[in-house]
Amino acid sequence: MSLTDLIYAGSNAVAGLTEGAVNDAIEKYGESHAVGYPDTAYFLPIIYAATGVKIKTLGDLPAAVGILKSLITNKDDLGEALNAGLATAVGAEIIEAIRYLDGDPYAEDAGIGFVSDPIIRSLGVPLVTGDIPGIAVLLGESADPKTLAAIVKDYQEKGLLTFMVGNIIEQASEAGVKMGLDYRVIPLGHEVTSVIHVVSVAIRTALIFGAVEPGKLADFLAYTKERVPAFVNTFGPIDEVVVAVGAGAIALGFPVIADVEVPEVPGALMTQADHSKTVETSLESRDIKIKVTKIDVPVSVAAAFEGERVRKDT
Amino acid sequence: MSNEILNYDKVAEASLAKAKRDGAETMWDRKAAQKTQCGFGEAGVCCRICAMGPCRVSPVPGKGAERGICGANADTIVARNFARMIAGGASAHSDHARDIVHAMHATKAEGPFKIRDEAKLRRISAEWGIEGADTKETYALAHELAEMALGEFGKPFGTQRFLKRAPQARQDVWEREDIAPRAIDMEVTTLMHSTHMGCASDYESIFRRGMRTGMADGWGGSMIGTEFSDILYGTPTAKASSSNLGVIDKDQVNILIHGHDPNLAEMIVLAAENPEFIEMAKAKGAKGINIVGMCCTGNEMTMRHGIKIAGNFYQQEMCIITGAIEAVVVDVQCIFPALPALAKKYHTRFISTSEKAKIAGDMFIKFSEATGLDNANEIIKIAVENFPNRDASKVEIPDIKQDTLVGYSVEAIIDHLDKVVNTNTSDAMGTVKPLTDVIYAGVIRGAAGVVGCNNPKVEHDYAHVTVLKELIKRDVICVVTGCAAQAAAKAGLLTLEAKEMCGRGLKEVCERVNIPPVLHMGSCVDISRILHLVNLCADVKGIDPALLPVVGIAPEWMSEKAVAIANYVVGSGINTYLGIIPQVLGSPNFTKLMTEDCQEFLGAHFVFEKDPLVMVDKIMVDLEDKRTALGI
Repeated sequence: MSLTDLIYAGSNAVAGLTEGAVNDAIEKYGESHAVGYPDTAYFLPIIYAATGVKIKTLGDLPAAVGILKSLITNKDDLGEALNAGLATAVGAEIIEAIRYLDGDPYAEDAGIGFVSDPIIRSLGVPLVTGDIPGIAVLLGESADPKTLAAIVKDYQEKGLLTFMVGNIIEQASEAGVKMGLDYRVIPLGHEVTSVIHVVSVAIRTALIFGAVEPGKLADFLAYTKERVPAFVNTFGPIDEVVVAVGAGAIALGFPVIADVEVPEVPGALMTQADHSKTVETSLESRDIKIKVTKIDVPVSVAAAFEGERVRKDT
Repeated sequence: MSNEILNYDKVAEASLAKAKRDGAETMWDRKAAQKTQCGFGEAGVCCRICAMGPCRVSPVPGKGAERGICGANADTIVARNFARMIAGGASAHSDHARDIVHAMHATKAEGPFKIRDEAKLRRISAEWGIEGADTKETYALAHELAEMALGEFGKPFGTQRFLKRAPQARQDVWEREDIAPRAIDMEVTTLMHSTHMGCASDYESIFRRGMRTGMADGWGGSMIGTEFSDILYGTPTAKASSSNLGVIDKDQVNILIHGHDPNLAEMIVLAAENPEFIEMAKAKGAKGINIVGMCCTGNEMTMRHGIKIAGNFYQQEMCIITGAIEAVVVDVQCIFPALPALAKKYHTRFISTSEKAKIAGDMFIKFSEATGLDNANEIIKIAVENFPNRDASKVEIPDIKQDTLVGYSVEAIIDHLDKVVNTNTSDAMGTVKPLTDVIYAGVIRGAAGVVGCNNPKVEHDYAHVTVLKELIKRDVICVVTGCAAQAAAKAGLLTLEAKEMCGRGLKEVCERVNIPPVLHMGSCVDISRILHLVNLCADVKGIDPALLPVVGIAPEWMSEKAVAIANYVVGSGINTYLGIIPQVLGSPNFTKLMTEDCQEFLGAHFVFEKDPLVMVDKIMVDLEDKRTALGI
């Protein structure tokens, strides 16, 4: 299958799921029932940024689904395929928002799910000063948890902010990676749709710090491409939905580095099967340059460990 | 002819109005004087290869005279005429190349002919199997390689050395179909033989022999011309230039170099830098010496030195009509014999320099490898001394010029592609893999080589520019050479900003690689660079280039050289689109062979399409079909 075919397969699947979820939710709660995320002033942030539309109730959603379906043209064209990637992001945002209707869906999950506005605001300063030199989005399930943990720790030491989606969360945790906002390693969730919460972070960065006007999609894409130094690492086999999500990342200007064979696009979509090189490959692909003075001590040293609390092992 | 057809080009309109005022004749006047051109010649069914003729047969099967006096029918006559066009074209390119090789044979450390790209000299020498290619003394090696190359023109046995550059799958096709070209001159001679009265009459056989002769051009003459020019004068690298008639400077001594062979032009450029001449120009009241180029010699000079491009084929007269050209210096090919008479309407001196192209009417200075720089000095002196003769009242330079980027040799393109290779992946530097990657991923849908001339049968540059704009809009990356390249330059397509005219995929590629969406790859012999590039891409995937989503296009072709080019491009497995229909329609059989049947044994065919927009539609279907077949 060609790359565009893969993207469309994934985006069409997500569009179908989204439409089903919206219809079910309306049936269950009615059109006037409120929908949204906790602790945000930006409604459904991706939809708000892309279209300027403020989604407040379930009744607002069918129109949004219509827009996202219209973005999936199934045409053999990169621009169109990237739009389908963005449509996938919109679909995921809607699906996740509906999950929040029944209370916090992440209550039982190791992930935190939606990232609130205050957290993004707290990250703003270190992002602007370069104290956080980049944002790594890790996704999937690794065949080798040890190397996965090494990758996360490496990002941590370099001061990057790492978001994790999928079974890699447990894998990394079991391999000794400490997680939490203070450690700059944030587990988002296990469903592939929860990756949308990092897209939401990038988009709200543009809204909050870039003061980009809602509805000006092109400006958002330019902002994320130029100002948000994010990239995606996928682990393990990738399905069509992941490819479609990846297309959304590429539309935002974020390169995707997979550890399996993919149809490569220089600078945007690459294969790096050697996990010992994942970090360097990723940083180079996003042009992230880090000056590190290695202090030869028996523990890791980085800003990421600043908020660490020391407890007794029990 | 009415100026209506020239609405596209403001420069042309103004120039032609001025020509009328000055009482100067142009190609449009002569085109009009031709009235309706002969239908028999147009269909290719007029034969005058022996003195029993001229014969003309009916272009409509079953009606009128069906055979010439010897019995040759329309199929034979059309095939022979077409084949002789190929022979003419292959000869022109190859003889050009021979001069370059001779110049290389005359190189010495103290110049003026010197080895400027020693690395390439050693690379090509190694490619051709010269022992000690990396250790031999530079000039000894250059002379050895030059002698070897001269052998390519007339060696008694074997085929062209550069054929080995193609993937094995393509070489197998050539072997199987017997179109691997032998010695270049042999192919031309034997084709002239076959098309003599009473020789070959089988139109398919003539087509194949013509194809092989074309191949002797692309993989022989032209490729030698390009590679050896790079060795002698430097391999082009990306650089800025400027184009259109506005590059002529009213305050300077303007010298137009027109023709093809860089041997002459390089010496002219060298001589023009001589401070003595610049002082002389200032003494005559000029601010300096301004060399501007036209056609392929202009392309050669802009690729290597950023020399400004005054215009393409159809503008050669307009250039003189500006009244600001002190000297037109020409060598060979595509030079209107009308120029000396036109020059006499102004103060312009017209100087022809090649014994092969002595053009009557003004001045002849014989250029040779032995006296190259002296000849150039003499020419510059004549131009400078002519400056005071300029009639200011007749000077009118159109205020139109366009910044442009040039210099994209295969080496320069690979150099750019290296910038997007992640150094931590297993991808090697110095390859075309990033290009094949984006084609395979569908970021760009394919690639097109847009080449060729201008032709007064169609609106000048309109088809070039339309095809290019429509293709880049559809994410097809374009490479250009010759007068098509100059049309693109004038239209602003050879700029980084032109990415805004592209589809999303190509725009991304242009941004990341930092290139224009249309890449100027040089002169007409430099189409061999395009062949090389396509074959490198096929090599990355280990496939026959015929499978790649790649096309060749000659929207406004005119010369026999273009016919030879189209043949070797098809022979190399690349479907070739012609915007001007060749003189073959008098034989439906031959036409079908070219446009359909040859697909079966060559993996490629010709497409005739006059409407550039329809042509683009056909090309997109072609490219998408190829993609589907490859599963990408």
